[in-house]
Amino acid sequence: MSNRFISLMIFAPLLGALLQALLPQSKTQGGEGASARWIALGSSLIGSIVAFALSFGLQGQGPDASIGVSHPWVGSYAITYDVAIDGLNVLLVLLVALVFPILIAAEWNQKVGRRGMQGLLLVLQTAFFGALCAQDIFVQFFFWAMSSLPFYFLIGIWGGPGRERAASHGIAATSLGNAFLFAALVLIYYSVDPHSFSLHDLAGAKLSGKNLEIGGFELSIAPVAFALVSLGLALRAPVWPFHGWFTEAAKEAPATVFVALAGVSAPVATYIFVKLCYTLFPETLADSARWIEGFAVINLLVFGISAVAQKRLRLLMAFFCLGEIGMILLGVGSLSSAGIVGATYQQMVLGIGLTGFGLLIGIIEERLGHDSFSDLEGKRVIGGLVTQAPAVSLFGGVLIASLLGFPGLGGFVGHSMLVVGSYSVHPAIVLFIGAALLMGVYYLFNMYKLVFLGTPSQSDGQAGFKDLSHRERLYLVPLAMALLFCGLYPKPLIEVVRPAVLTILSMVKP
Amino acid sequence: MNDFVRVLPETCIALTLVFVLIGEITYYGERVRLLSLLSVMGLGAALIQVSISYEQGNSFAFSNAVSVDGLSLFFKSLFIVLAGFSVVSAARSSEIPAKRRPEFYVLVLTSCLAMCLAAGSAELLLSFVALQAVNIVGHLLAGFGKRSLRSAEAGVKYLVLFSVSGVSFLYATGILLSATHALNIYDIHKALVANPLPRIQMLIVFMLFVLSLGSQMAAFPLSLWAPDVIEGAPTPIAGFLSVGVPATGFAVAIRLFLATFTEASEVHGQWKVLGDFQWTEVLTLLAGATMLFGAFLSLRQTSAKRMLGCLVVAQTGYYLMGLLVLDEVGVAAVLYNLLVGLFALIGAFYVLSFFHDELGSDQLADYKGVLNRAVPECICLVLFLFCVVGVPPLPGFLAKFTLIGVVIRHGQLSLAAVAILAMALSTITVSRLAFSLVGDFRTPSSKPRRVSPQRNIFLAAILVPMLFVGVFAQFFLSWAGRSLGFIFW
Repeated sequence: MSNRFISLMIFAPLLGALLQALLPQSKTQGGEGASARWIALGSSLIGSIVAFALSFGLQGQGPDASIGVSHPWVGSYAITYDVAIDGLNVLLVLLVALVFPILIAAEWNQKVGRRGMQGLLLVLQTAFFGALCAQDIFVQFFFWAMSSLPFYFLIGIWGGPGRERAASHGIAATSLGNAFLFAALVLIYYSVDPHSFSLHDLAGAKLSGKNLEIGGFELSIAPVAFALVSLGLALRAPVWPFHGWFTEAAKEAPATVFVALAGVSAPVATYIFVKLCYTLFPETLADSARWIEGFAVINLLVFGISAVAQKRLRLLMAFFCLGEIGMILLGVGSLSSAGIVGATYQQMVLGIGLTGFGLLIGIIEERLGHDSFSDLEGKRVIGGLVTQAPAVSLFGGVLIASLLGFPGLGGFVGHSMLVVGSYSVHPAIVLFIGAALLMGVYYLFNMYKLVFLGTPSQSDGQAGFKDLSHRERLYLVPLAMALLFCGLYPKPLIEVVRPAVLTILSMVKP
Repeated sequence: MNDFVRVLPETCIALTLVFVLIGEITYYGERVRLLSLLSVMGLGAALIQVSISYEQGNSFAFSNAVSVDGLSLFFKSLFIVLAGFSVVSAARSSEIPAKRRPEFYVLVLTSCLAMCLAAGSAELLLSFVALQAVNIVGHLLAGFGKRSLRSAEAGVKYLVLFSVSGVSFLYATGILLSATHALNIYDIHKALVANPLPRIQMLIVFMLFVLSLGSQMAAFPLSLWAPDVIEGAPTPIAGFLSVGVPATGFAVAIRLFLATFTEASEVHGQWKVLGDFQWTEVLTLLAGATMLFGAFLSLRQTSAKRMLGCLVVAQTGYYLMGLLVLDEVGVAAVLYNLLVGLFALIGAFYVLSFFHDELGSDQLADYKGVLNRAVPECICLVLFLFCVVGVPPLPGFLAKFTLIGVVIRHGQLSLAAVAILAMALSTITVSRLAFSLVGDFRTPSSKPRRVSPQRNIFLAAILVPMLFVGVFAQFFLSWAGRSLGFIFW
């Protein structure tokens, strides 16, 4: 497959979004024609199929495997449209390719403003593909910042009762994060000579030894830029203590949007952190690895404990996601190949697991009208879904098992590599991971017990609880299959990632 | 006669103006419509003349009072395109009644002519006259809606502020004339290099110019007119003024400050301050204050037009960054920004003018749910506004990057930080506006959608060039860069 197809992969969803937005209004179905959603799904699938095809082409290409194109864009500022799939980003490209068609399928019967919602999801797909593949930090920022606005509208328009507040908090946090990242990028650009945005040119400690004067103090650029990048991405990932907007979004956002936020946006943010820090500031990263580990442990424990106290499915998922971000950061900060490969693997597996779990929550919420699973005293509100909806319960079980890392499912591979990687940093960290996972087992299975097992509750909503429809099965099955594949046969995926990880690691530990 | 050939674009606009005036007097009824066509054709011809002038190279006309060079031609094309869009965008507006449309065309053409003259003027007196012409016509335009109290207020405010501004320009010119016995800025520069002014005199002259041009550019604290005038004036006129008046200020300021108060530095493509008064520091302060003031003020506005007015003020702050670094790259970035801003602001005001006709209000609260009725307009408005504040993937982001980049290159990190903060704040502002367009999506509006192909075509005519400026950024940036070969002391 020609390398040029990568542009098709990135821009097909955007073109689809434009096309379906410009489609004339049909009089049937309240002005929302059926062809619009086929265009949306089709363009999303085109991008995804190309992504899968390109990723297969990466197999067995050696350590510097990459498929991409490069065109000069703004010559006077050395900005290049340089995009490529390589060993580091391929798993997340696969994640985006898998998740977004499913999200569009999940909004198939959205009643209000379906075209707008699917269009914004398509814009997100383009933005994430672009941010993942970009090999030029300007282009990367360009796509990454492009992804922040659709969330604002998706939460603000289609969200729950407190949507305006959640949306404006979200946009405030993300635009602040983007501002920090942008500042870092301009600083990096002007500190190297000749000025460059290309990650290839900037790689290998080009920034070390460069200084900057602020108010009479001499500061070296690399730590300042590192701090700005970390802050900018921590606001969007999100990492403790910048997570307030995220949990608020979890409460108000529609299920699909929250899936995109937790299952895609957060892993992509950690990917960008890995890519930028390992390439640009290896020395600073090596110095501050302990800080990353520290924040990761705080994330794990704080959010693990918070999750135990949750009574709503969405918040449970949000806190679980935040804790897992800490887990991924443990791998990132471990500076060991097993840790980083594990982090990369876990980014994908977590994304798939959260997508499935989030969509399942959406399905349950749609049928019951609420998502609380226990009241304040810990008594069940819903219960016994397993007799009414065996398929929902089965998928729920598989997804929870994968999220927690049960053997045979994707999460197991990711978690075990993370544990191996972190052990090399400090044995005590493994204890923290164990504690967090035990808490996870407690709160997720407690939730499972309250929702699915026991006798069916007599509440109004639950009486007519329907099992999964064919459409819902159609989009949940690929997710479960992907998790099984990742758990049973991770070899091809890890083989692509490992050489690339060793390459970036060699910059940190020569 | 040769002189008139050198300023053919202006001549062309002046002739169009005469014909439109005659038409206004002699035509009546339906034939008045022809005048809009005539104006657009005249402006189109002037634009062609500009491109022809490019081939003739740099020269002076009217005993060195008018300079025909890359900078003036760049601004001339900007102003002509601006006037063209304004004429077309007013063609259906209810704020400019059909009966008074010829009058509007005359005012816009006069203003455009004066702006073009200001852009090319190399003599202080000519600059003064041109600026005064811009401002007097601007006063008439701001007060165009005679029956609207706010429009009348806007007109009066505009007049009062700019008479003060004109006086200070004249006063500074007087001081320079008595010190150097010259009015031509290049002659003044030579005289100043030979006999530098004392520091205190330099300070007074410069501050007077800043007072005058600062109000033209809408720099804090002289920017107070901008939100009032932009809110009060009829919307198509607000669009014209919000782009044209600051751009005129920058056209004059770039030439005046860089040709008069600087000298060539050792580094190619850069200048350094002439004498020992570091006037760039004044501009730094002005730029930072203007950005923050505009961005913060825009956060809490309830009227969309006023919000945009505050954003226009913030824009001026960004543009000043390109000026104060005394670097060709910076000035090229300002020009590129002005180009992007032209399309984005004209487009945004056009959509607001449509909303005003539809809803009779420019309050955010009244915009709720307008997306249901006018989908393409709302999408375009959102794109235009995000372009103004510089959100990727729109060209405004690249434009802001060029400006922020150049100040970082010159080591002014705090200014860059302020600019980035202001960008983040403006993003929040614009998201608020965009959000209010959506309103409550769940309650379907009772009013029917109004589809108009002409309006969509006009919107595309603004949107497509705007996106082109971003996609072919290389071409436009180098055009802006080439426009700077004007300083031949």
